[in-house]
Amino acid sequence: MARMKFLCDAERCIECNACVTACKNENDVPWGVNRRRVVTINDGSPGERSMSVACMHCSDAPCAAVCPVDCFYFTDDGVVLHDKDICIGCGYCFYACPFGAPQFPQDGVFGQRGKMDKCTFCAGGPEADNSPEERTRYGSNRLAEGKLPLCAEMCATRSLLAGDGDTVSDIFRERVTWRGSAGMGWGWGVAYGKSGLRKGKGVDGRATGGD
Amino acid sequence: MSSSKRSRIRHHRMVVFSLLSLLVLTLVLPLIPHAVAELGESTGRVANPGTELWRDVRQRDRSIVGATQVKGVDSGVLINVHGEDWRQFRMQQLIPYGAALMGIVLSVILLFYLVRGPLRMQGGASGKKIQRFNVFERTTHWFTVGIFWLLALTGLVLLYGRFVLIPLLGPDGFGLTASACKEAHNLFGPMFLVAILMLFVTFVKDNFYVRGDFTWLLKGGGLLGGGHVSAGRFNAGEKIWFWIAVSGGMVLCVTGLILDFAVLGQGREVMALSHVLHGIVALVVITVSFGHIYLGTAGVEGTLSSMTTGNVDEAWAKSHHDRWYAEVKAAAADADETEPGGVASPAGEG
Repeated sequence: MARMKFLCDAERCIECNACVTACKNENDVPWGVNRRRVVTINDGSPGERSMSVACMHCSDAPCAAVCPVDCFYFTDDGVVLHDKDICIGCGYCFYACPFGAPQFPQDGVFGQRGKMDKCTFCAGGPEADNSPEERTRYGSNRLAEGKLPLCAEMCATRSLLAGDGDTVSDIFRERVTWRGSAGMGWGWGVAYGKSGLRKGKGVDGRATGGD
Repeated sequence: MSSSKRSRIRHHRMVVFSLLSLLVLTLVLPLIPHAVAELGESTGRVANPGTELWRDVRQRDRSIVGATQVKGVDSGVLINVHGEDWRQFRMQQLIPYGAALMGIVLSVILLFYLVRGPLRMQGGASGKKIQRFNVFERTTHWFTVGIFWLLALTGLVLLYGRFVLIPLLGPDGFGLTASACKEAHNLFGPMFLVAILMLFVTFVKDNFYVRGDFTWLLKGGGLLGGGHVSAGRFNAGEKIWFWIAVSGGMVLCVTGLILDFAVLGQGREVMALSHVLHGIVALVVITVSFGHIYLGTAGVEGTLSSMTTGNVDEAWAKSHHDRWYAEVKAAAADADETEPGGVASPAGEG
């Protein structure tokens, strides 16, 4: 059985936020919630890096561990989902998650929190696959249609990878092999296989010959 | 002769020089690319800044904050390093130690009751009653009790329900129960602030330290035997409980409001810290309240009526609060003497 994983290649991410927009649109995410976000570190300085973050579908998920009503469950693909029928909107998963994935739609009076919402790896929820109920509550279920999450499918630079962990690892390992390591393996020229961009500074890019 | 010798020496020198040159070149030549690489490093090439960046991001002592287009509290934090600390605290410490604390204290109280039994009044009930708490004081007390236990029970359901109630009610049934508990906890929580302030205003005047409190504490309040210990309106144990309830209650209110109104812009770090304080203080206050409840009901004969009808037996007052009893009697006597009208009680009564 596949083990679904996300991987964001920070050498490639150009902070275009297409993944954020794609996710919001595909899943009709509630107001005030972004299931995915792009964080840029050292913004505007040399060595700036961007990374797209969402639920990482942990094996030992802190959200599932602290949930007082035990509403989280793992699919056979290792996707971490939660049942909004059981969720009470207490906020504990939001405190425990390292990635800020679970969030609360602020739709009640006095900003009262509703049931939490998080990235589903485009795998819907506990309702029947692609039923209208599932669609309204959790968004789309692309996995049931044999498709991967839209954020990764949309990614123009193939920075964000999603899918079976082994396949994702193979793709990334191949990239890293071609790029080299330490002082060599970074920069645009390296990442995109065009040697021209950084040649003047003495870093040779090498074509990856594929993804 | 000499010329051939000289040429031989020159030949030797050439051989030695060639060998030395070869040796030097063998050693130096491979170094040239390294030297070039070194020079290249210092001019154009720098180490991948990514390596240090990711080391910083992964480090568990602080959260790296970046820029993001997604607007929201903490949305720029790539990895929230405190989440795991909070998880460990809640799952490994708060839940097991809290249960152990409450369980041990309850067992000790039960054991004490079985061994020692209730504390009796000296000489048995006299049948004469005096008022200990007026209506306002009793209302304040029971208002606080009601809110406190509503919050304590709903809070305990959220803390222990996953382990205790899911097996009984099933996931859906418990989801509904827990949802109701959470809503009740969040709605009635702010009212606890009112209750605590009322409790403070109503009872604070009799809860300051006076002479004799320390002696009372040293003698264990007469609980462990050795007869009754002299005390005023409230003994040192009651005073300690008052200050635990008021200060603990205030901590619970402040941290509770931080958790309840999540829209004020507080981040996860503040909320997790509030939750830690809220959990510890709540379990401590609940545990201490077990002792208060025991002493107010089964533990001390004749105490409960002070909070229901407001009256206690005079023998009870003499036994447990002798100085307060004397004050009340003196005040009543003064009132009789200074009474100007003709409705004064007949002399000699009381």
